[in-house]
Amino acid sequence: MAKQRGRGMASVNYPTGMNLGGDPSQALIHATTTGSFVVTLSSVDLGQGLKTIMAQICAETLGIPTDNVIVDTADTDTGPHCMGTFASRGTHRIGNAIIMAAKEARAVLLEVAAEELEVNAADLETDGKGNIQIKGSPGKSISVLETALAAHFKHGRTISGRGIFLQPRSYPEPETGRMTPATCYAHACTVAEVEVDTETGEVAVLSLKSAYEVGRALNPRMVEQQIVGGAWMGISHALYETTEPYYPDRAHGPVDFNEYLMPGPGDLPKFENVVIERPAPDGPYGAKGVGEMTANSPIPAIANAIYDAVGVRIDSLPITPEKVLRALKAQAA
Amino acid sequence: MNRIPLRFHLNDAEIGEFIDSGTTLLSLLRDKLGLTATKSGCNQGSCGACTVLINGAPQLSCLVLAARCEGKSVATLEGVSDNGTLHPLQRAFMDGFAAQCGFCTPGMIIAAKALLDRNPDPDRGEVIDAISGNICRCTGYEPIIDAILAAAAEMRGGKRKSA
Amino acid sequence: MSVALRAAASPREACRHIARRDARLIAGGTLVMNEINNRETVTASLVDLASLRLRSIKIANSRVTLGAMTSMADIAAHPKLKFLKPVVTAIGGPAVRNMATVGGNLHAEAPYGDLGVALLALDARVTLETARQRKTMRLEDFYAQHRKLGAYLVTAVNFALPGANRFFFTKAIRRKPVSASVVAVAAHLPRKGKRLAGPRIALGAMAPHPIRAKAAETALDGKALDETTIAAAASAATEGSAPASDPYASAWYRREIAPVYLARLLAQAAGQKS
Repeated sequence: MAKQRGRGMASVNYPTGMNLGGDPSQALIHATTTGSFVVTLSSVDLGQGLKTIMAQICAETLGIPTDNVIVDTADTDTGPHCMGTFASRGTHRIGNAIIMAAKEARAVLLEVAAEELEVNAADLETDGKGNIQIKGSPGKSISVLETALAAHFKHGRTISGRGIFLQPRSYPEPETGRMTPATCYAHACTVAEVEVDTETGEVAVLSLKSAYEVGRALNPRMVEQQIVGGAWMGISHALYETTEPYYPDRAHGPVDFNEYLMPGPGDLPKFENVVIERPAPDGPYGAKGVGEMTANSPIPAIANAIYDAVGVRIDSLPITPEKVLRALKAQAA
Repeated sequence: MNRIPLRFHLNDAEIGEFIDSGTTLLSLLRDKLGLTATKSGCNQGSCGACTVLINGAPQLSCLVLAARCEGKSVATLEGVSDNGTLHPLQRAFMDGFAAQCGFCTPGMIIAAKALLDRNPDPDRGEVIDAISGNICRCTGYEPIIDAILAAAAEMRGGKRKSA
Repeated sequence: MSVALRAAASPREACRHIARRDARLIAGGTLVMNEINNRETVTASLVDLASLRLRSIKIANSRVTLGAMTSMADIAAHPKLKFLKPVVTAIGGPAVRNMATVGGNLHAEAPYGDLGVALLALDARVTLETARQRKTMRLEDFYAQHRKLGAYLVTAVNFALPGANRFFFTKAIRRKPVSASVVAVAAHLPRKGKRLAGPRIALGAMAPHPIRAKAAETALDGKALDETTIAAAASAATEGSAPASDPYASAWYRREIAPVYLARLLAQAAGQKS
């Protein structure tokens, strides 16, 4: 039995968003009578955590607790326009739209509070716990709830805001091809360690160590989780997943989750991740997109580690045991 | 249609229903009783999202005819929390970020509960085996395994690993 | 979906029902319910075997009898069947193991049916009933003939308890800790002194149903389990096999690694204290 270990690395520069016919997203925010703030979006949370991050951004900008924000992603027919949840654009595009909307709403919030407290709005600040107070004198304050009630029933005002972020379409310069297809770029590097069974071609990923530069991690636990989940998917693309296992022969495509192969809970390597924060000037509180890139660098890192282990270069995915074994036999011949 | 009477124990209730004899337990739970925590993933027995406990043992409700549950005790995720107080597994999944899209979560928690009910002190390998029939597409499994171990530690009265 | 469910009153009565083309047996349900849910089969009625008291594990005179409705989990939990634990815990996940039955496993086509691989190495006998008679046959005859038997119901399998450290099982998988088999290998290796006496090797996923690797058995019989013998057995491992290509592996790959897995299993057996 011969098992050979190898190590490989790969890096990725990943654009946040993409160059469409312009890349806009909108957000609308309004206060309810009870001082909760509703963020209305057409963007979708399909598990990536968009609602959590958008509530954080809204709360941070308004200066209220995150629990008092309701993110409504109900309807793409009637909601404010969003290009969609793809290209790792959600946090950046929608987050920027929410900051714009929340600034407008905050201005109204402080104006109404100023009327109630009989002071100048410029002298007010929020305490982040649901109160608005005179700067430097927390004793004189009004709650967000009371302010919202007053706006509705005394002042006849809507505490609301409109926001949009537009990345304009970028055309290439004819002479140079130069263009601006995205906004900021996130970066990562992964080092993979594998063990290859030279008699069967089976590959075990022993560890994946990654460093990510994501602008700012608005929710560090969710960033970490996305990196681990993405690394798993990277292993899956590298070694398992395919709808055409014998391409270009299209026979034997999988028809169920038993046959559509993915790593199981017993295939996990040791994950080790480091997040580096270098806030992006155009990102909401400095954030870049960390969504899709997490499945990228593990793939070539694993392919390189296999090469390092046994000297065979597999250039099609997934790198199945059969491909490795055939390559090892060709190498020996 | 072959309508037949069915009586069984579901979470903390006695259920009496007339059902079509070809109805799966999954369909009865979701479509007739409105208990939608149990998910319909593949209807082939290969994803684990529909896992429930029947007489305490995990089974795949998409492959179980409801009629075969006569007189048995069925437990779903709806019965795992106690009057609004979350089960330690549920809290550990939340604290440990062990869900993204959440579709596999009910099946994962039921599979984990089946393990902890008979083995309060599992090692990592036993946890991995317990969820080996449950597919997750988002988390990479590691946060789920960690959450189950953390819940087990808490239920034993020990300290939880820091969340 | 309208499917009539009928509790079987007796094995023979069950056979009479399934003699009708649109009726099927249901044991654990992992095979037939999958087909019904995906409309691969049009079944008007299911005959439920749960009423037949076929869920039992009996051990008498060093012979094990498994009722057909015994689950994989039942086997895994039995203190005297520890040698089968690696086999049954390599099947499904815990939920499938609670449902899947011994009788059903004998009807699972490659790359499934690992318990049958083990039972074939253990030279199991299958007891089945038809509408007219009860018969017992060797498992390998059952695999070869069961499609020609007409309506029948497997009620039990039995086999002699193997000696301590005489039964071995391994399988190549594509998803850990469990998946269907790329190849499964079971070996029953009785010895006289240092020499193997009547070894039986069975392979899974190397044909539509589990098969014996008879050429490998011949290479081992009467020999001590040393490197030369193991190499000879491995090189004969795939003789007579007819593996399929599927999403797990190609036929080529299965033929390549079956000898490797057999050799490793035999090396493990050689390293065991006798």
